[in-house]
Amino acid sequence: MTGQAEACGVDAHLLQTGDELVVNIGPSHPSTHGVCRVIVHLDGEIVTHAEPVIGHLHRGIEKMAENRTYLQVVPLTDRLDYVGSMYANWAYCRAVERLAGIRVPERAEYIRVVMCELQRIASHMMSIGSTGADTGATSAFIYAFNQREQVVDLFEAVCGARLTYNYVRPGGVSFDLPDGWIEQCRAFTRSHPSAMVEIDKLLFGNVIARQRLKGIGVLPAEEAIARGVTGPAARGSGVDWDLRRDDSYSVYPRVDFEIPLGENGDAYDRGRVRLWECVESCRIIDQALAQIEEGPIKAEGLPRLLAPRPGEAYDHIESARGSLGVYLVSDGSVRPYRMHVRSPAFQNLSVLGYLAEGHTLSDLVVILGSLDPVFGEVDR
Amino acid sequence: MAVDRDRVRTPRTVSNDFAAGLRGWLDAGRSLLTGLGITGRTAARTPVTVRYPAEKIRVSPRWRGALRLRGLLGHDEIPLISAEPPGYNAVIDDLYRGERLPPCVGNCPANVDARGQAFLIADDRIPEAYELVRSRNILPGVLGRICHHPCETACRRNYYDEPVAIRPLHRFAYEEYRKVAEERLTPLPVTREQTVAIVGSGPSGLAAAYDLMTLGYAVTMFEREPQPGGALNTGVPTYRLPRDVLYNEVNDLVALGLDLRLSTEVGKDVPLSVLMRDYDAVLLAVGLQESRILPIPGHDADGVVGALELLWAANHRGEAGLRGKRVLVIGGGNVAVDAARCALRMGAADVSLACLEGEDEMPCHPWEIEEALDEGVTALCSLGPKEVLTEGGHVTAMRMQSCTRVFDETGRFAPEFADEFTDVPADVIVFAIGQAAKLDDLLGGTELLVSGRGQLVADGTDFTTSVAGVFACGEVVTGPGSAIVSIATGHEAATSIHRFLEGRPTDDEHRVRRPVPVYARYAKADVAGVERTRLRAVMPMAKPEDRARDFRPVELGLTHLEAMAEASRCLRCQSEVCVGCTFCARTCPDYALQVERVDDPGIRCLTRYDLDLTKCCFCGLCAEQCPTNALTHTGQYELSFYHRDLMTFDKGEMLRDGGGTRATGRDGVLPPSCPTRPHRGGEDR
Amino acid sequence: MSLLWGLLWGLAAVMLIAGGAIIGVWWERKVAGRVQMRYGPQQIGPAGSLQMIADVPKLLFKEDIVPEGADEPLFRYAPLAVFAPAAMSLAVVPFAAGWAPFDSTVGALFFLAVPSISVIGILLSAWASHNTFAALGGLRAAAQMVSYEVPRSLSVLSVIVLAGTLRPTDVMAAWEWWWIPLTFVGFLVFLISSIAEMNRGPFDIPEAESELVAGYFADYSGIRWAVFMMGEYGALIATSLFGAAFFFGGHRLLPGVGGIVAMVVVACAIITVVMWVKWTFPRLRADQLMAFCWKVLTPVALVQLLVAGVVAAWL
Repeated sequence: MTGQAEACGVDAHLLQTGDELVVNIGPSHPSTHGVCRVIVHLDGEIVTHAEPVIGHLHRGIEKMAENRTYLQVVPLTDRLDYVGSMYANWAYCRAVERLAGIRVPERAEYIRVVMCELQRIASHMMSIGSTGADTGATSAFIYAFNQREQVVDLFEAVCGARLTYNYVRPGGVSFDLPDGWIEQCRAFTRSHPSAMVEIDKLLFGNVIARQRLKGIGVLPAEEAIARGVTGPAARGSGVDWDLRRDDSYSVYPRVDFEIPLGENGDAYDRGRVRLWECVESCRIIDQALAQIEEGPIKAEGLPRLLAPRPGEAYDHIESARGSLGVYLVSDGSVRPYRMHVRSPAFQNLSVLGYLAEGHTLSDLVVILGSLDPVFGEVDR
Repeated sequence: MAVDRDRVRTPRTVSNDFAAGLRGWLDAGRSLLTGLGITGRTAARTPVTVRYPAEKIRVSPRWRGALRLRGLLGHDEIPLISAEPPGYNAVIDDLYRGERLPPCVGNCPANVDARGQAFLIADDRIPEAYELVRSRNILPGVLGRICHHPCETACRRNYYDEPVAIRPLHRFAYEEYRKVAEERLTPLPVTREQTVAIVGSGPSGLAAAYDLMTLGYAVTMFEREPQPGGALNTGVPTYRLPRDVLYNEVNDLVALGLDLRLSTEVGKDVPLSVLMRDYDAVLLAVGLQESRILPIPGHDADGVVGALELLWAANHRGEAGLRGKRVLVIGGGNVAVDAARCALRMGAADVSLACLEGEDEMPCHPWEIEEALDEGVTALCSLGPKEVLTEGGHVTAMRMQSCTRVFDETGRFAPEFADEFTDVPADVIVFAIGQAAKLDDLLGGTELLVSGRGQLVADGTDFTTSVAGVFACGEVVTGPGSAIVSIATGHEAATSIHRFLEGRPTDDEHRVRRPVPVYARYAKADVAGVERTRLRAVMPMAKPEDRARDFRPVELGLTHLEAMAEASRCLRCQSEVCVGCTFCARTCPDYALQVERVDDPGIRCLTRYDLDLTKCCFCGLCAEQCPTNALTHTGQYELSFYHRDLMTFDKGEMLRDGGGTRATGRDGVLPPSCPTRPHRGGEDR
Repeated sequence: MSLLWGLLWGLAAVMLIAGGAIIGVWWERKVAGRVQMRYGPQQIGPAGSLQMIADVPKLLFKEDIVPEGADEPLFRYAPLAVFAPAAMSLAVVPFAAGWAPFDSTVGALFFLAVPSISVIGILLSAWASHNTFAALGGLRAAAQMVSYEVPRSLSVLSVIVLAGTLRPTDVMAAWEWWWIPLTFVGFLVFLISSIAEMNRGPFDIPEAESELVAGYFADYSGIRWAVFMMGEYGALIATSLFGAAFFFGGHRLLPGVGGIVAMVVVACAIITVVMWVKWTFPRLRADQLMAFCWKVLTPVALVQLLVAGVVAAWL
């Protein structure tokens, strides 16, 4: 196995293993949720050291953005967090709007909120489903994906794409909601919470799953804060922090929702925070759809080529993985001078080694899944 | 699944655990049975997947599959918008509902087919272009100089760089048409027995006359002045509109069969009641003849004049006794600016313009005030007239009061003043604050009703008056406005007259009241990175210091080549014919599109349109940018090829019929309608 | 002569298992499909029933890969060592009154002992693959299978105590209907430990798709992989037939030929339940699995044995 590790360019100190077994989980492995490689040192089945090796999905999106106009960057942001494209779209567009001083029409803000809450459901369904898949409960995975599929159908009806939506634009959104969409969406938010209860019973209520998830990968709240963990991963540890409420943006102040919290900070709490967030997302969508009014969906008078005044802007939103921020610098030309993405998945992944130590190999997979990293966003 | 949605409540904490001891064991066992129950129930239900191939998944109409073009420059012609006068509104309405109405046409009050004009000029079919424009805009040459061009404001090209120079193209078309006017003008046949009299030869009257002549009526037009043109003749300064242009175009109408009687004032020379008896229908297009003057102290002093009088004097005498004097123009509208610029040309030493509104709120067109400021006019904003200061019955100054607000929250005119006064010294004060109709002579001896404020009672939609058979159009109905709005009312009035003479009601369900289109207003596009060849032709202008001295035209016109190049800048919006504007290629984040076109006059065609599917990421930005709606996505997504060359879609493949791509054969799905229409904003959703 | 018979029976068992595996895989895919809101196979044949007929040639024609560094002979023949015991265990199943293919006096012991040999095949394949994941899977399998022998044997023992014989045909002859409620807990223990024994979910830790990516047979492809699958389905078929006979009376449920049908029906029901369980529950962790075996299943099996013993003595 050392030969294998060596061939993959692992540092020499990692190879001094003594009685330990070094296993490469990934980069091509069903449970790494993308192309992540984890170098695992095993003592029997016990993980003594786990180190994520990232970069397999690095495409240089931040650099590519410097050679594209502000509009052309939007499709690139789709490919950051490809499980939640809407978030990166939105975070980027918010940064551009802040940079260029664009005021977004209210209807567009509501549509964005609805889309991003749907996206939260879609993304969490992926995460919860893969919690099931990682522990071997493939049916729970399919049930979650059935819910996700309905969300994706809604997205397809709005913008024609099912994964890389390219929907949010600087100044608004690209298409208005099609006829009958709101009813379709309401039907979904009506049926989704009961589906969540079912998945809760099937997966999180099951005694085997409890045994597999409870007490696994415990992340104390202080540690979560110290390591910059955000989103459900931090809220599972009881860190009561959600940008939608604590740095409220868009029309979130006008809707009423709760933020589910965990106590133990283990994989179980992280997963179940996600599950209940989906129910809360349904509430937000219902309220937003009730408040939405007719109107323009794009700021008036935007030219085709945006050229914001020289300056910098940073804006962040609460994505399904945590606080997603985009930092933009303009030199006054039609292309950003610099773009940087503060990706929550990258921060959250950084605690993997800390969490996995002392657990078994089977738990490593669960812990990785409970952090819900998307490697498009980790590597960028 | 039978959980009531309202009963699903998020728990305070998500961490829960089984109880200890036997209870926990029982709960654990029950959780296993619950799980089996859930999967068992699910297995008993109908699956959610489809039975392929009997059932297929429905794709969204906005599906972003492989791209396709609907039409191609040099391959497909664009449709010209034309119809018999009474049916024109219905045509526009259809186009509007089908989202096929170009913004320039939609935003023009008279719906002039500016897209068709650009198409014909680019094709070197200039007389046809002129005639196309004339069918809706009776004086293309005149409007080509004085129009406030709402078409250019709505031009989609604003979004990309600069609008197409539609107004200069009108003027160019007029100049070219003059060369062939003789051979193309043949009198329109009179096919009907009824006759129509039109009072006033302004733009609205001329438009109505043309429409009625096209329909086969004999039309007689009465004009008080010795020259035709109404307000265009008396009110528009000659540096903006050389009179020979106006007279030429009116003479063209005479050549088409109009019976024009100059120097005949209805009400004095001929009583209106006689016209009502002798003609089957009478149209009053008399316009507004009087300037309004504020009844403030000193308004009757020597040196206080109305703007119309000043302009009339400037146009007909070329002199108004202003040489060396200080002139103050009151008002912020276009007439005020015209008066100020005329005063400058007539030798005034110093010309100021005082208006209630702030600099950004001035009701005149921004380019007008800009040109005036260039020429040396001083603008004094946010000042309201208070009192004319006189000395020996002669004006010495105007006391002005600061205005803090002109419009209230609801947008109504309700000025508020501060207690600050300024005295502006002036020898001549010109009031340009509005105009009124002078109807007493005209209406004497008829039953036509006049409202309390001295306005003619007329319907604003079908232009009827209180007496059947008498119609009214133009500014006498709408109030002070622009020439093109007057022309639009002329067309509507002609339609009403036609219906009346055919014995149909003027206002029935067939009368189209189309929604007024709302088009996006664009911020000024950043053109720093755009090549010179893509930008708008620059209209040659006389130098400001030269033009302030005399009444020669300010704008000098486009050359033939410039005009053709400008016309080919037109994006032919909503025509569904690709014009090779390359905006799709420029917006593609993956550089997957290659578009080239040949632009020589006569052989304008698209030589290359290559889509490299190996690069395409199906983001949809290109189709969103397409101004003509020619580029659309299809539902064809089975894109696997044996040879990589096949993955480059050339012109032929891009123009493929609905069936499928090279790869899909007939398997592809074509969305029912254009799926990637950018949202237009506004009412029709 | 007996050698010839043995060969014939062996062939029959292989055919039975191969056919059973084909039907079993189809049925499992159908069950899994419906549980997961899908249709399962539906293209080839009615309700996709010929899907596996199409899959077998596919597996046969797939490239037979031997990884670099693998112990080639062991790697090639280890699947047979997994498959053969499963096929052999069918020999002692009492199909009809007084008749089993191999009616041994120690038939029950044979049935409990022989399938355990497959753990050697699994260890061989894991070792021969020269792959970390396979090695981990093999070690997990060895620990798991050896441990679960204990509760499995104890649970069968309660029936044997009641019958007073190890010969399966004699057990069937002695069977009474009230044994069903009496030994039901024993049946559950037998079923659970058998699932663990044949590495099916939720005890598929040695294969653990999401952790070990198929574990000990990670490197197998084509027909050798299919032999592993046949071994698994063979064990499933043999176990459910044996369970149907010992815990539900098998052919005694109905007289005559109907008896065999009843036994097969009960066995099919057991198979379906096993699949249902697999597609419902998450997987245990290796240490939890062992704890479950020693702390729960073995005591329960002992209590069941005690109850059966008391009843047998009281009779």
